[in-house]
Amino acid sequence: MRLPGYLGLILYKGLADLNTEASRAYIGFVWWVLEPLLYMGAFYVAFGLGLRGGGPGMLFFLLCGLVPWKWFQSAVSNGSHTIQSNIGLIQQIYLPKYILPGIVLVTTGIKFLIILALLLVLAIGVGHEPALPWLALPVLILAELAFALAAASLAGAVVPLIPDLGLIIDNGLIVMMFLSGIFFSVKKMPHTAQVLIEINPMVAIINGYRDILIDHQWPDWGNMGYVFAVSTVIYAVGYGIMRHFDRVYPKVMIG
Amino acid sequence: MSGSKVIELRNVGVCYTRKSGMLRSSKFWALHDVSFDLYHGETLGVIGRNGAGKSTLLRLLAGIIAPDTGEVIHRVERVSLLALQAGFIQHLTGRQNAILSGILLGLTRRQVEERMDAMIRFAELEDFIDEPLRTYSSGMRARLGFTVAFQADPDVLLVDEVLGTGDASFKEKSAAAMREKIASDKTVVIVTHQPETVLDLCHRMAWVHQGVTVEVGEPKTVLAHYSESLRQARRA
Repeated sequence: MRLPGYLGLILYKGLADLNTEASRAYIGFVWWVLEPLLYMGAFYVAFGLGLRGGGPGMLFFLLCGLVPWKWFQSAVSNGSHTIQSNIGLIQQIYLPKYILPGIVLVTTGIKFLIILALLLVLAIGVGHEPALPWLALPVLILAELAFALAAASLAGAVVPLIPDLGLIIDNGLIVMMFLSGIFFSVKKMPHTAQVLIEINPMVAIINGYRDILIDHQWPDWGNMGYVFAVSTVIYAVGYGIMRHFDRVYPKVMIG
Repeated sequence: MSGSKVIELRNVGVCYTRKSGMLRSSKFWALHDVSFDLYHGETLGVIGRNGAGKSTLLRLLAGIIAPDTGEVIHRVERVSLLALQAGFIQHLTGRQNAILSGILLGLTRRQVEERMDAMIRFAELEDFIDEPLRTYSSGMRARLGFTVAFQADPDVLLVDEVLGTGDASFKEKSAAAMREKIASDKTVVIVTHQPETVLDLCHRMAWVHQGVTVEVGEPKTVLAHYSESLRQARRA
């Protein structure tokens, strides 16, 4: 099978997994909307109301951070277990393992797009009318796709080899969430702190959503370039490890 | 036998790793020292008792796993297991599962769709193909699984244990289809612990015991030695 065949497989399997997830719960795909709403609601209560005094402006500011973050987090979290969750399949037929994180990105990405659509409706609802910079949204989506795929591939490549890394990744994601500028504006920080915190590509992505949806500006293209560059490097490492251990993963049993 | 080697195994060993807890892992050698060649167009039977390493051997031949010692040389590209019900998902319909499984087995979506009608007829699932798989009986699932897996047409076909599956009448029909495929010019490896059932199909047999090849050769001779060893084991 060549690359186009694998792309077809990634898409079909991704949709099939999504379908499976939906039929596991009685309310099916309503859950995809409800779950992030509850998640975001909890953060709003904790941080929006509790620490910052709240207000509709604060809520929308938070959501612009939480919505893209949730995609990244679920992609990396599911991606780190993807070889394990497909172990039966990869012991039965040969599949290049690097396509597995791609499947995760399809399932989590479609859920993200639904939530993003809700966020855009909300943007209009709170008075941020669609403006020209909205045209840059696909670039932001692609940037996050690239970064999440890269991080999920790297996590997916190493966790089967060193299962303890799974715990480190889960905790690392929590730390990273607090350092992604979801709850505060990175732009208001002192310069040195800002430079350090902007190493994290999620900061650029979240800032991009706020530039577009709140400030009605184009995102910082230099930062977008940075996201793609970092993603390429991380992906190359993850892909390299997956290729190297391609025929070793099916021999590893965890538990 | 047409002569040219398609796969060569040289003193192959395979080790599984079980990872548990903080940096703890244990190793288990499923194969120690297996050697044989597979020739184009032949049917090779691999026999051995349960736990002899037959499934591991098939994974190795299929290129799913790499050997830890020794060497496997593939001279053809597409070597695959008759992968029954590969990737089946309970919540998808029979038709969707056929497409998914077909794509996983290396067919294009169009190829699967072109063959769909014939597959539905062969699997006798005309009235159920658009129902979710979870509503299927195990016999129906086996019929669909065999029919889809049978569509894959690798250079070397690997078969685990049984030729036919499903309820009695389908078992006969699927075994007949398999026999026809094996009897053609196809290169086939059948792994089984019931060698009598495939004796007439095999050009050669390899006997594997506890991860080591004991004997490779003429089927009746190898089978006689294997049966003798079973009798001795029973007596001991």
